[in-house]
Amino acid sequence: MQDFPPEIRAYSARDAAAPDTRSPRHFLWWVVRLEGTLALVGVGIALVWMLPQVLGPWLVGHAIDDGIVAGDSGATLQWVLALLVVTVLGGLSGTVYHTVIVREWLVALYGTTKLVTRKTLQLGHVLPRRTPTGEVLSVAGSDSDQFGGFMEIVTRAFSELIAFLCVAAIVISISPTMGLLVLLSAPLLVLVGSPLLRPMQRWQGIERSRNSELTSMATDIVGGLRILRGIGGEDTFGGNYARQSQRVRQSGVSAGAWQAAVEGVGVLLSGGFVVALMWVGVREVVQARLSVGELVSVLGYGLFLIQPMRTFVEFAQKMTRSVVAARKAIAVLEQRPPWIEPVEAATLPVGAPITDDASGLVVRPGRLTMVVTGVPDDSAALADRLGRYLPEEQDAQVSLELPEEMKGRGARRERARRLIARAEQAVRDEERARRAWGVRVGDVDLAAVPLDEVRSRILVSDTKPHVFAGTLRSAIDPHRRLSREGAEAVLWAASAEDVFDAVPGGWAGELDERGRGLSGGQRQRLVLARALAADPEVLVLVEPTSAVDAHTEARIAERLGSAREGRTTVVMTASPLLLHHADEVVLLQDGLVTAHGTHADLLAGNAAYRSVVVRGEEAATVDRPEQDASPPEAHRTMTRPAPQEVL
Amino acid sequence: MSTTQMPLLPPDLVAESARTWDEADRRGPAVPEELVPPVSASLAERAAAMRRRHLLREQRAAEFVADTMNATKGLPIARPRQVVRFVGGLLGERRLWVVAVVLGNALAAVAGLLVPWWLGRLVDSTVADVEAGRTSAALATADSVALLVAGIVVLQALLTFGAKASAAVLGQGILASAREYVVRAILRLPLSRVESASSGDLVTRVTRDVGTMSESVRWALPQVIVAGTSVVATLAAMIANSLVLALPSLVLLAVSLVQVRRYMRRAPNGYLTEGGTYSRINTHLTETVEGARTVEALGVGAQRLRIGDDDIEVSAQAERYGMTLRNLLFLVMDLAFSLPRVLVLLVGAIGYTQGWASLGEITTAILYTEALWGPFDMLVHTADQVQVGVASTTRLLGIATVPPDRDEGTDEPAGARLVGSDLRYAYRPGHDVLHGIDLTLEPGERLAIVGPSGSGKSTLGRLLAGIHGPRTGAVTVGGVELTRLPLDQLRTEVALVTQEHHVFIGSVRDNIVLAREGSTDAEVESALRAVDAWHWVERLPEGLDSRIGSGAQDLTPGQAQQVALARLILADPHTIVLDEATSLIDPRTARHLEGSMNALLSERTVVAIAHRLHTAHDADRIAVVIDGRVAELGSHDELVALDGEYAALWRAWTT
Repeated sequence: MQDFPPEIRAYSARDAAAPDTRSPRHFLWWVVRLEGTLALVGVGIALVWMLPQVLGPWLVGHAIDDGIVAGDSGATLQWVLALLVVTVLGGLSGTVYHTVIVREWLVALYGTTKLVTRKTLQLGHVLPRRTPTGEVLSVAGSDSDQFGGFMEIVTRAFSELIAFLCVAAIVISISPTMGLLVLLSAPLLVLVGSPLLRPMQRWQGIERSRNSELTSMATDIVGGLRILRGIGGEDTFGGNYARQSQRVRQSGVSAGAWQAAVEGVGVLLSGGFVVALMWVGVREVVQARLSVGELVSVLGYGLFLIQPMRTFVEFAQKMTRSVVAARKAIAVLEQRPPWIEPVEAATLPVGAPITDDASGLVVRPGRLTMVVTGVPDDSAALADRLGRYLPEEQDAQVSLELPEEMKGRGARRERARRLIARAEQAVRDEERARRAWGVRVGDVDLAAVPLDEVRSRILVSDTKPHVFAGTLRSAIDPHRRLSREGAEAVLWAASAEDVFDAVPGGWAGELDERGRGLSGGQRQRLVLARALAADPEVLVLVEPTSAVDAHTEARIAERLGSAREGRTTVVMTASPLLLHHADEVVLLQDGLVTAHGTHADLLAGNAAYRSVVVRGEEAATVDRPEQDASPPEAHRTMTRPAPQEVL
Repeated sequence: MSTTQMPLLPPDLVAESARTWDEADRRGPAVPEELVPPVSASLAERAAAMRRRHLLREQRAAEFVADTMNATKGLPIARPRQVVRFVGGLLGERRLWVVAVVLGNALAAVAGLLVPWWLGRLVDSTVADVEAGRTSAALATADSVALLVAGIVVLQALLTFGAKASAAVLGQGILASAREYVVRAILRLPLSRVESASSGDLVTRVTRDVGTMSESVRWALPQVIVAGTSVVATLAAMIANSLVLALPSLVLLAVSLVQVRRYMRRAPNGYLTEGGTYSRINTHLTETVEGARTVEALGVGAQRLRIGDDDIEVSAQAERYGMTLRNLLFLVMDLAFSLPRVLVLLVGAIGYTQGWASLGEITTAILYTEALWGPFDMLVHTADQVQVGVASTTRLLGIATVPPDRDEGTDEPAGARLVGSDLRYAYRPGHDVLHGIDLTLEPGERLAIVGPSGSGKSTLGRLLAGIHGPRTGAVTVGGVELTRLPLDQLRTEVALVTQEHHVFIGSVRDNIVLAREGSTDAEVESALRAVDAWHWVERLPEGLDSRIGSGAQDLTPGQAQQVALARLILADPHTIVLDEATSLIDPRTARHLEGSMNALLSERTVVAIAHRLHTAHDADRIAVVIDGRVAELGSHDELVALDGEYAALWRAWTT
């Protein structure tokens, strides 16, 4: 029988048992099938669990009539024993029922979370490019729980339906009049009470959304706490928080008042129902159409029957919410990788030059090439091309979450528009991924090679690399390829010795998520060490030292060349300290290669290069005249065009 | 990889590397093997193994809670007693509402209990009337009792509404006060604490712990009051109906209390552990999604998959622990609450034949045993919620227990000259990172600090900005120690500007005015004009009132930086310490910002901790900090002539 956590094989190499994402209903049905026989067992055990409620009142009635009133102690004992058996059975099955329901719930929950993880890994950089992270995470974090709740309510509603039918049969057999009264009024009562649910849910929704805004405000205050404590503003933002907190309180009180109304009306209706039953029942007893025991039975059933009705209302509500959750899950899970495996997989030649058609860049194998550009976006785009990553696109991310105030037809139209935008995006990506890529190693286009091979041979360390939580060793050498000496060597080459010191526990020391706790410069050198540790045939580094101080940058510049000796390395940078050590420097203007040579040659002979690498007069950063003391030529060489720091 | 240059790592690093290398590789399975059920075993062995697993999970839960709740790093944690006093105080402020909730609910419970009582009486009178053949009397009694009970039901409904609505007012009120108190405490955290600690712990507290506290305060706390009064009232009604018939419930309830107490002692650990495992799943999945490109580039998908699946395995174990705890509880409670019905019927039958129990009393007693179950079950489940809430609240109130880091004096600085003398500082006792630095800044001077990472230059910057007090020596402005200045005054003397430029959720005005609360719109506007930002603020849909920050209007990095600079213009300190202030901005933005930056820096004393040598070159003086000491100090030309560390770096930069 299915147990938690379930095994999920979807979206892997053998893409087996993928969920059905054709529609929310298909997806929910897939969740039910994921449970396997467990779902049926759940209904069965729920029926046993409800046995005391289904048979109890009937048995009590007989005990009163046949035993107590008739004065037959043997019969009393017999009925009491029967009640005992049913009660003990029900009581014991409670734990089994609970176990089965928890299993079903967690199979759905963990199964969904696993699906999201697998989908994320299957799509790689394509997923966060299209879908806001929050939407992906909420499928794993909250929609998954919704599916757990869906399994629970389906099991309970289904078994209570059966129980309801059984009770109906029993009540009608006792007294057709009372039976009809019970069967018709129970659903009526629930229907009368349910209109109140709507405003209650609306206020609960308002409370939830205001509360999530409040939580973002608190996170915001913590995130900017250094500024609030350093520069000021405690009163302004403390006041903003307090105001929002009061808005949450008001909506919470409104939601609470509606909930109180729902409960009050519930008391009124079920109490009124019992009074009516009693009143009719006494008349039946007086007219000898009903015995006292039967009256007690019917009263007992009257109280019980409210329960299935409430369950059915709950079922309807949760179904609606589950469909919404399923729609959100589908929006993530239905996405497919844009790549297709080439029909005849070629392989990338070793030791061949790399050519980029768009810029005219030619990277010679085994050399340290540095690319200088005045526009950082151009070098980032070049790095993406070299590594076969889909280009950065404005508005590539389409959120399917609509703003709170958007309702009704406007919301539906906006949703449809965004769905279309997403679909168009997917088509664009596929077109881009499936035609010739325009970057060749030797004469093999990257599109002619399986993506896995490209990834294993060309490593692009982009501008926003992620540092994962874990031991320092796993952060630098995730594949555990290196010897200790090798790891020490990359640490040294990236001049990251202080990172080692900053993490208590050395290699076994734990890094926080995103490398929080390390400075920007330390994180950058950790990432550099990781890239060097991977030791790929072709390594592309984008601005690898932008957050590193000059002392350290100078050291890295000296060590990088020897660390990558004989391997192909491309560095996008404008730092003279690095450029000085390049085998070849390429100047990129408006996305095109306009010059190449050594740093010294270009500096001497190319005015455009000089104006990019050297800070021009027009970009003076101080409001005072340049000092005359230093020779003008040297001065221009020493300073940079695009100052990343100003005084 | 080939290394033509031999790495020259410091010997203590190599020693630490050798010591920890293998240790980092030691990792067992996500859950110990003892937690995996045996494949084939006899029933007795299975039961024994199940028990062992449960105890092991219990131990793991206790360890987890000890680990996360009493973390030595991060902020302190208050004592449960303080929580009780705190919540008691909040309840005391709302005495009337507490009375309304208790009284309203007690009356509703009593009204609810009167219904079964009258039903019982009606059964008795009907039976008596029918036996005596008084048909019309029976019907008349039925009419009047029905009318009476209907009245009671209406009353009960109204009281229920009143009690629940009051409970919502009470719970929401307490919750709002509690969270506002917590945020005020955060906004009072000492400056040195804020600057040095990572914000992770605080983020967890304002999100997860406030969430847990909300659940308990908003829902569980009123519910405990409600369920508690119902249980007491029901028991009282049972005894009033018939002491003998109440006995089965009382005895079984007492027996079940043993198990309930056992459960209550363990449940909070179980829930906290479950919650903790889910945040772990979420944290790791967040990393996988946000770092999807890095995962793809490095080919570490298999590792991420394993981490995700392991997290789920660990979470499943925590869930199994909670499930077993609840199962043990349900086993006892289900029987304790359903058996009385059978026993009441049995005892009632005996009583009826012996003449000391009527049919009505039996009916009432049976209905009461059913009525007891709901509130008692609710009481048990909300009580453990309250315990979890208390645990979270200890962490929230702990924020308020951080002692202040400075002792404010009343001396007024005479002048703007900043003097640091014999500055030493240690993050860990016995490990000074600064070794007696002396430095004097003349008003209007520009000093650049350069040095390799880890040399202590950022620490020096923080001391000069009055964030931390030095271990020895002092930083004074106009003769007064920075750490003796009230925070509001310190901000007008010297400001630290770092790489962070946070845009707060709020209006543009809020974002600027924070630097000098109470500033007029004209002052805000002129600050924005000074940094060349007024033109785009003016064009925003609602001008200064436009909402910016995460989730609202997005600012470009350049605009965000301009906002940060405008704040400083408004704060107007005479000295500014720039710690790599613009190094994370892309070069184009930096160039665009130069004008704004110049507007801020003109006429002020500036200390710039510099990454880039041109920054140093342009300064009046340069301090080269190496290993916590000022190795070289002088103008660019002096240092180049000195031919030391700075000169060597300068040559590397320029050739």
